[in-house]
Amino acid sequence: MKTYKVKVYPENIEVIAKEGENLLELIRKSNIPINSVCGGEGVCGKCKVIVKSGKIDTESTTHLGRSEIQKGYVLACLVNISSDLEIEIPLESRLEEGQILLGNEKLYSKVSDFVRTESLEKKSIFKLFPLTIKLFLNLPYPSIKDNKSDLERIYREIRRYYDFPIMQTGLSVIKQIGNLLREADWKVTVTLGMRNKTTEVIQLEKGDTSCNNFGVCVDIGTTTVVAELVNLNNGEILGVKGSYNKQISYGSDVISRIVYATEKKGLDDLRNAIAENINALINSLAIESNIKLNDITSIVCAGNTTMTHLLLGIDPGYIRKEPYIPTVSFVPVIRAAEVGIKINPRGLLATLPSVASYVGGDIVGGVLASGIAESEDLSILIDMGTNGEIVLGNKDWLCSSACSAGPAFEGSGIKCGMRARNGAIEATSIDKNFEVKYSVIGNTKPHGICGSGLIDLLGELLKSKVIDRRGRINDNLSTDRIRDNRGCKEFVVVWGKDTDTGDDIVITEDDITNLIRAKAAIFAGTLIMLKKLDIPIDEVKHYYIAGAFGSHLDIEKAIFFGLLPDLPRNRFKFIGNSSLTGARQYLLSEEARDKCESIAKKMTSFELSVEPGYMEEYISALFLPHTDLELFPSVK
Amino acid sequence: MSVELLKEKWVGKINEVTIGATKDEGGSRVKTITIGGENTLPFMHFEGEMSRTPKIAMEIWDMKPPDWPVSLISPFEDVISSPAKWAKKCVETYKAEILFLRLQSAHPDFGNASGETVANTVKSVLEEVGVPLIIYGCGNPEKDNEILPKCTHIAKGENCLFGKATQDNYKTLTASCLADGHSIIAEAPIDVNIQKQVNILITEMGFPINKIVMDPTTGCLGYGLEYTYSVMERIRLAALGGDKILAQPFICLVGQEVWKVKEVKASSNEFPKWGDENKRGPAWEIVTCASLLLAGADLLVVRHPETMEIVKKNVEMLMKK
Repeated sequence: MKTYKVKVYPENIEVIAKEGENLLELIRKSNIPINSVCGGEGVCGKCKVIVKSGKIDTESTTHLGRSEIQKGYVLACLVNISSDLEIEIPLESRLEEGQILLGNEKLYSKVSDFVRTESLEKKSIFKLFPLTIKLFLNLPYPSIKDNKSDLERIYREIRRYYDFPIMQTGLSVIKQIGNLLREADWKVTVTLGMRNKTTEVIQLEKGDTSCNNFGVCVDIGTTTVVAELVNLNNGEILGVKGSYNKQISYGSDVISRIVYATEKKGLDDLRNAIAENINALINSLAIESNIKLNDITSIVCAGNTTMTHLLLGIDPGYIRKEPYIPTVSFVPVIRAAEVGIKINPRGLLATLPSVASYVGGDIVGGVLASGIAESEDLSILIDMGTNGEIVLGNKDWLCSSACSAGPAFEGSGIKCGMRARNGAIEATSIDKNFEVKYSVIGNTKPHGICGSGLIDLLGELLKSKVIDRRGRINDNLSTDRIRDNRGCKEFVVVWGKDTDTGDDIVITEDDITNLIRAKAAIFAGTLIMLKKLDIPIDEVKHYYIAGAFGSHLDIEKAIFFGLLPDLPRNRFKFIGNSSLTGARQYLLSEEARDKCESIAKKMTSFELSVEPGYMEEYISALFLPHTDLELFPSVK
Repeated sequence: MSVELLKEKWVGKINEVTIGATKDEGGSRVKTITIGGENTLPFMHFEGEMSRTPKIAMEIWDMKPPDWPVSLISPFEDVISSPAKWAKKCVETYKAEILFLRLQSAHPDFGNASGETVANTVKSVLEEVGVPLIIYGCGNPEKDNEILPKCTHIAKGENCLFGKATQDNYKTLTASCLADGHSIIAEAPIDVNIQKQVNILITEMGFPINKIVMDPTTGCLGYGLEYTYSVMERIRLAALGGDKILAQPFICLVGQEVWKVKEVKASSNEFPKWGDENKRGPAWEIVTCASLLLAGADLLVVRHPETMEIVKKNVEMLMKK
């Protein structure tokens, strides 16, 4: 078969393509980061590349403007290679790589016996008992009288500290024991892994290495992935990093990824993508804290059901098909290496249990972290991820549901949206002359707007009447911040002279529509759930908002925008990335693990998509704050 | 033993909207009409008040309609080239109490007439007849935003009913109706929530809620009439149940929906079994009107004189207590 050379700038990499090979697939295969929301269907228009030289055969598309076509822009997914090419991947088509994702600082308090992040009445404390522990053993020498085998001797010594009923050791470790014990003069450190109710001797090291025991917890979101490095000896958080989920190149939502995994046989691609994501985050965390990968002995991942299936390489196809049944909800603890995660080769991987196809381990982690399952009071937890999850309940019962909110709050699909990291605008205010004041995470020049900043901004835009209740920009105002950009109205938040790239930071009417859709999905879901359970909204005593979209959320503006119901303000609490907090608690405490399991078993779920009133509620929530203004007395 | 009828007790009442202004009121109309005001479901006289009789408006155009069938053109053959004469015939011969003037000639595909031209047409109709006027744009949002402010201005003081405001295009018309003292038609496609949203958007601009007339029309008999029917019913039930934002009268553009369907337009030569098109068209329009009256229509816009006559009788019968 004929082959062609494709040169990719600015990487300056040359790759060989087969005749007729799809350009987007070639770029992905070559590990060059490129954006694609639809997964190569030609419908999202995100995979724009510029052809510098070479002949191109491509379909026409509405995603490219006239000036772009003149400059040689094409959609990579619509190009089948039929000559040598030189292409450039422009900035807007790139996926940004791992950068620090800041979170709620309160979540990262450095305490030895770690405290629940947000507890209801009193601070509840889980006892530190990590998934893997290191224990230094000074074993008594064997003698004719004390003639137990080496392994039994180790077990006996361990039982002096811990009451483990069942212990086991793999053959490869057993094979090392004889020599290692004697070379170390019977002074060794064992790493013990909690594999459900069995304790495994994972490895044996000479001397006392018990101070070097670390773990990683990861929140695998559909859009963002965040990892924390934790000292397992005291629960201290050593670092946190985040990035966009690399699977985005294969589709922006769970459904398009399931389709990619099943119909396009891309399960391996997706599993590799997330494993690489996690490995990159772990690597940079380890380098920063100056620790060895070998000393990371366990990892806990919390993600929605599809993300968990994809991480484990399990076919997620049945999640999408009626009656929406996942392959597994409670995954046993396995070795991390089995899915390609690079920590200690015998290190363990645990995933938080899920409830249903669309209610995953991330929300179970959120329930654990928020503590709503221990309170007498009725509480609501809303996780504003790409798949918005809602949990309602108290210590006796929990009911959950999921609604597809889309990635808008995570800054994806928004022109100047970004993740919550340095350079993100997180709060704004607009005065009567439409001048904007803003605050930026890290106090740097702004680069874009993160989720909490977007919610904040929309509240301000509505208050200052820049937008109407349908989210349309009012172009009759006397300010040059409102302008028309090729048929789409936009509001300039920060002028180019004050931004880090020199480009204006804007919010467009399309962005606003996306955000309104996202909030409507969540609000409608909440109302339907309360209606279904016949609970007046006023009876909800605590309202927890979770999400990896910012470090603070202005509750007043979120109510004004119609994202949250009009309840007394002291009932609301923004708890940041609760999925990550839940994963950390799972990593650090046996009690938390038991609790987590009971939460997952106790929680019921129902499908909003088949709920007849949902669409109706959704339409009435596509308004600011809501079509039914009676629901928002304090906003009127 | 006598049986006592169980009566529904409603808390809400539909606002009254008056169209037209007499000399004393600053206009030049001989008579005005008022719609709305009911505090019960349509024609349920034993339960509440329905003090205002539903009204029927006749539709005229500012140009010869290119796609009307012969059966609809023929009653107006002699006047169709002059909107003023057409208006006069409707009032004098067919006894129309209110007219609906569609400014179709402004549409870029139908002649692209200027704002001044159509405003002059409005003026000529107002001068020719003394009945209140409903003035309706050409349907192209950009063009309507250009011509309708000129029309509201030229008709200032006459308290006309102008259409249409939609969720995507309401600002210009609302502002000019507010400035020139007219009422407004708020259109929403078969959706209670969107209807409510349009009403809120209009009132947010300072427009009085009691000058809005809602248009839920989306299809005639055989083309999804039942959807329109049930949405109207739901809006009305909400209004009577106390939702003040939905407590406005309905206008239904029946003619516009009826006279575009094949069953009405086709001649009896094409489909002999369908019968005489001169009877078929009005019949289709009449049945659609009768259904919508029962759903709560306060103002029907029809095209054929025969429809006008028979629906009027129908309303009279229904209004008998």
